[in-house]
Amino acid sequence: MNALRVFAVGGVTSYRALFNWIDPWIFVPQTLGYPIFEILFFAYLGRFASVQSDRFFLVGNAFMAIAITGFFGMGQAIGGERRSQTLATLLASPANRLALFLGRAVPSMLTGVVVAATAFTVCSFVLRVHFATHELLGLAAAAAVSSFACTSFGLCLGSLGLRGRSVSLFADTVGGSMLLISGANVPLERLPGFVRAVGSGLPLTHGIQAGRILGAGGSFGAAGHLLAREALVGCCYLLLGVAMLRVLEYEGRRSATLETF
Amino acid sequence: MIRAFASGMWIHVVQFSRNPFDLTGVVIWPIVYASIAYYLLDSKDNPRLLLAASLGASVMLMWSLVVIGSSNALENQRWLGTLELLVAAPVPFAAVIAPITVASGVVGGYALVATLAWGTLLFDVPLVIVHPLAFALAVPCCVLAIGMLGLVMASTFVLYRAAFSLGIALQYPVWIATGLLVPLSVLPTFVGRIGWFLGPYWGYRAIREAALGPSPWPAIGMCLVVSATYLVVGTACLRAFVHVARSRGTLKLT
Repeated sequence: MNALRVFAVGGVTSYRALFNWIDPWIFVPQTLGYPIFEILFFAYLGRFASVQSDRFFLVGNAFMAIAITGFFGMGQAIGGERRSQTLATLLASPANRLALFLGRAVPSMLTGVVVAATAFTVCSFVLRVHFATHELLGLAAAAAVSSFACTSFGLCLGSLGLRGRSVSLFADTVGGSMLLISGANVPLERLPGFVRAVGSGLPLTHGIQAGRILGAGGSFGAAGHLLAREALVGCCYLLLGVAMLRVLEYEGRRSATLETF
Repeated sequence: MIRAFASGMWIHVVQFSRNPFDLTGVVIWPIVYASIAYYLLDSKDNPRLLLAASLGASVMLMWSLVVIGSSNALENQRWLGTLELLVAAPVPFAAVIAPITVASGVVGGYALVATLAWGTLLFDVPLVIVHPLAFALAVPCCVLAIGMLGLVMASTFVLYRAAFSLGIALQYPVWIATGLLVPLSVLPTFVGRIGWFLGPYWGYRAIREAALGPSPWPAIGMCLVVSATYLVVGTACLRAFVHVARSRGTLKLT
């Protein structure tokens, strides 16, 4: 019960603190602008290259927008505390670590999902790509599974913040690499075998494939195995992330690096 | 002024080059974009197009480094509590900020080397420079044009506490408007007109035409013209915005 309180109160407080730092009228267009222009950038690149349709890039990059919030949400939850010099104080508390950091990350992730959905809608109109209701429901289901997998992966990335300083940059670089490896912007069959192998062990790759099948009117039967793989990848990273939180917190205490900035 | 600019730029180039982890990001990002372009444009079977894509990806990163670097630099000064000291220094504030933005562009030179090497070694992109001397001149002109645009952006960041986030948001719009990887011919006409006012547009054209022909000189000249314009506008904006920030007492707010 206490963990639930830490999760909820800590999350709400940190989210309110965000808007004390940044005005909503700047935050909203700024967070919306990035995914919208990213989708348009790759859709027009695809048009020029005559490779795949706008729908391909729209779905791939909308999923990327969700992934980025999953990666950064956790990374920032820990990295932000280090930057504010409050990480050591926070870790001195007996609170459940997962509740502590997940509570800070979840509001950002929910914002990311809303932002991705809005960017998807705006770009659908701009690029004149239309989806039927059942296709949108399928996409939402695939996005939910991918969001879970990316958040779990983000937990692993974020836990590195207990030991190192440049986690945001690392998450940024990993997120950037996902533009290529996950097949968001390049059809997987065009990528070399080893890149495909790496991608299959990362979140998002199977989720995007499932999203493209469901977004093209395919059934859950056709995309079910991909969703199951995405969920399995997410579960593996969740377990790894929880273990990393424990080990790296211990290492951070042992080597007295929690306050390095 | 010249000493302040030169020493400031040197310090920041060294500082930006200190962390191998940061440099890994500098190298990986353009490689990712160039690779996406290679895999997508491969079907066109045009090696010149792939070289142009390498150059475009490099300039994309230069802009990212400048816009993020300039916003992050100011934010860092705020966090470290040194922004007020810099504003109070007898050297014009533009001479403090311009080296940071230009140094960010210089660090983008690593990206240029890495992307060209990546394309040549892994994708057989032919590294044939039509005008080598002009290319050697076009690269610093491109860095200068992008860095000076960063100065204009930095001036607005003085007022804005969440400058770093704004810097990130400005990456894609400028990449699109300047036709770095996506040709302007596939975009609505008005987008290309916006590009005329942006340093990366002329910087990229200078580098691309030095590498692929026909003539890079008009674009190199435009780089110098827009750089001078940005310097004047940036200095004036910095003065005005610093005055506003001082009168509101918001310089120190983190």
